[in-house]
Amino acid sequence: METLLEVRDVHTFIGQYHILQGVSLKVRKGGITALLGRNGAGKTTTLKTILGLTPPRQGEVIFADQPIHEMRSFDIAALGIGFVPEQRAIFRDLSVEENLKIAERKRGDLRRKQEMIFSLFPDLQRLIHLPGTHLSGGQQQMLAIARALVADNRLLLIDEPSEGLAPVIIEQLILAIRQLSAETTILLVEQNFIVAGQLAEDYVIIEEGQSVKTGKMAALVKDEQIIHRYLGAA
Amino acid sequence: MTSFVLYLRKNRTLLITASVLLLLLLLAIQGMETQDWVVTVLRSLSVAAVTFLVASGFSLIFGLLDVLNLAQGTLFMIGAYVAWTVYIRPDTFIDILTPFCFLIAGFTLLPLWDFLASRLTGKKILVRLWPWVGLLLAGFVLLFALRAYPITIWNPGVYSQSPGTYSLFADTGTRLIPPAETFGDGSAVLVLGGILLGSFLLAFSLAGLQNNRNAARVRKSLRLPWAYSVAFLAVFLVGLLVHLFNTPLTTAIVGLGSTWLFFIAILVALLTGVLLGSLIESTLIRPLYSRPIYQLMITLGLSAVGIELVRAIWGRPEFTMPKPEIFNGAGVNCPATTLAGVFQDHCSTILFMDSRIRVYNEIFIPLVGLIVLIGIWLLLQRTRIGMIIRAGVQDREMVEALGINVRRVFTFVFALGVGMATLGGALAGPSMGISTAMGESLLLNALIALAIGGLTSFPGAAVGSLLVGLMQQFIIKYGQIGIQLPFLAEPFKPTPPLVPASTVLLMVIILLVMPRGLLGRKE
Repeated sequence: METLLEVRDVHTFIGQYHILQGVSLKVRKGGITALLGRNGAGKTTTLKTILGLTPPRQGEVIFADQPIHEMRSFDIAALGIGFVPEQRAIFRDLSVEENLKIAERKRGDLRRKQEMIFSLFPDLQRLIHLPGTHLSGGQQQMLAIARALVADNRLLLIDEPSEGLAPVIIEQLILAIRQLSAETTILLVEQNFIVAGQLAEDYVIIEEGQSVKTGKMAALVKDEQIIHRYLGAA
Repeated sequence: MTSFVLYLRKNRTLLITASVLLLLLLLAIQGMETQDWVVTVLRSLSVAAVTFLVASGFSLIFGLLDVLNLAQGTLFMIGAYVAWTVYIRPDTFIDILTPFCFLIAGFTLLPLWDFLASRLTGKKILVRLWPWVGLLLAGFVLLFALRAYPITIWNPGVYSQSPGTYSLFADTGTRLIPPAETFGDGSAVLVLGGILLGSFLLAFSLAGLQNNRNAARVRKSLRLPWAYSVAFLAVFLVGLLVHLFNTPLTTAIVGLGSTWLFFIAILVALLTGVLLGSLIESTLIRPLYSRPIYQLMITLGLSAVGIELVRAIWGRPEFTMPKPEIFNGAGVNCPATTLAGVFQDHCSTILFMDSRIRVYNEIFIPLVGLIVLIGIWLLLQRTRIGMIIRAGVQDREMVEALGINVRRVFTFVFALGVGMATLGGALAGPSMGISTAMGESLLLNALIALAIGGLTSFPGAAVGSLLVGLMQQFIIKYGQIGIQLPFLAEPFKPTPPLVPASTVLLMVIILLVMPRGLLGRKE
């Protein structure tokens, strides 16, 4: 089993608040790892710490055998980590095309990838010239994911993709993310346990800023006790 | 069709406000002669264009960097003084060019210093201390070397050698150039070498400081891209050549005539702003991005220091900056009656609807404002860096998460914003006159224009500046002719202090109706 990303006992402060108090996790190359936990447990901060947006004060982050926790965030991203932030944070003042184009790291990235992106999210092709403000919630989420696909990324960090979306749209998203996982590794933060259960093979549970449990998703789905204890009613 | 109705409904407050303002503008015709109205509108375009140059820089910087650059007014003023120097005293400009080139030569080799600094290891205290020692040393060397280089300058204390006198002479068409200073007892090679050495030391020490600030001290490998070596060679050679051919160059540039000199002056002012902007951002603002209050104090302090510095160099009294020949003709055919006449006789005024319109103030300045407006708009909409700026205004963190070095874009935007302000100052010099106070009123105008238009909106800065210009000029006009208000027997004549007050009032009313300004976005 090859590990693509490893987080070792990371501590992160935001202002004076000690948000992450020892998070460790491993993401296996290929496939989907789910980061689970209650609201405010530190899931989003973990993603931002990996990316260097909230750099850790202590601990190590290793990506593809390279320590990255002291690097600047744009250098980390350029190593091949794509980020899909929560609440569908696309650039609203930019058109759909510009939202994709800005993610290019090499000239022509978008031209090479657009076929793949449009086959995954056919809607985006139709909306290509619209400004981001005109998109529905589901379309914005698809654009946010598509944006992370433009450059050659080896790891995708996806934060709460299903939040606030209608069930039909969530179905589409699950299909798309599963298709993606065939080619890239994904670390997925998800509140909706049903979604996470359908997608991920491995899981990590974070509680109060500490990673408390890891394992195989297949086992977790059956273990109602753990689900109840750490994640509340599923 | 439905989307149009939707658009109307969504923006109804904006549309109603805009219509009310337009109605007021048209109603103003009732109170005055039509030609007065036209002239007033044209004058407000001039004020609007200058305000816009300061406000647009303000808006770009605030939008992307969240930095309220309160020094923008002072930088505007500095632009005017720099342009005056190049325009009226080109010999001083040529003299300054050599030490300036040698001074920045060291900074063109920054990757080299960066590499050397990262290799300097040893006792921690020594590593921490040496950049400061280096800075001190560089200061000493530069102090002596720069003072020893002969620069022919004016003397504000002596009337016959004061900036105002040189301006008066230039206005009569003869440029008064005092005899050039020469090297005293110092050797030229020694002085120039000293400046170069000081520059190297300065850049090296600054690189060391920067290197110590980074938490992770990594041993960098040497990468000196060829562009840097070429830049160094170019700067060095320009400095050297200007030094060797100082006298013929001065004669040549004076011989160019006032029109060319004026355009060179504008360009130099713009470039000075760009350089000052990148310097301020990278040394003073960058360490303070997480502390907005300190930034505010830094920019406020800079503004005060800037004013005192200008006073020390150019003296206290205000002086004029004559208009270049191309806008200052007064032949038999003047004032011109057609645009063709303007081009043929270079008339300073043009007769339009029986009133005189000043070509420089009311046509040239608004034209430059329009060109800058279009230019920046194209930059924002059509280029990759513009795309990054627009995205960064909304969500900086996400832009960085895409692998883009936003900090580099920050420096660019700050430099551009300050460049706009100094350009504005250079343009305003001939129309406003030059004084150390010229920045303050402009800063207030620009801030009000921004609040009216919506703080981070670039088109908002343009609309706001236009409204500020219109408001001021109409109040000034009514101050001359009086306005017949209902229930008043006598026409009401607004006094001059009411001019700035009126724009504040306009801002208050607009912000009450639309708290985010006319074109501001929801947060």
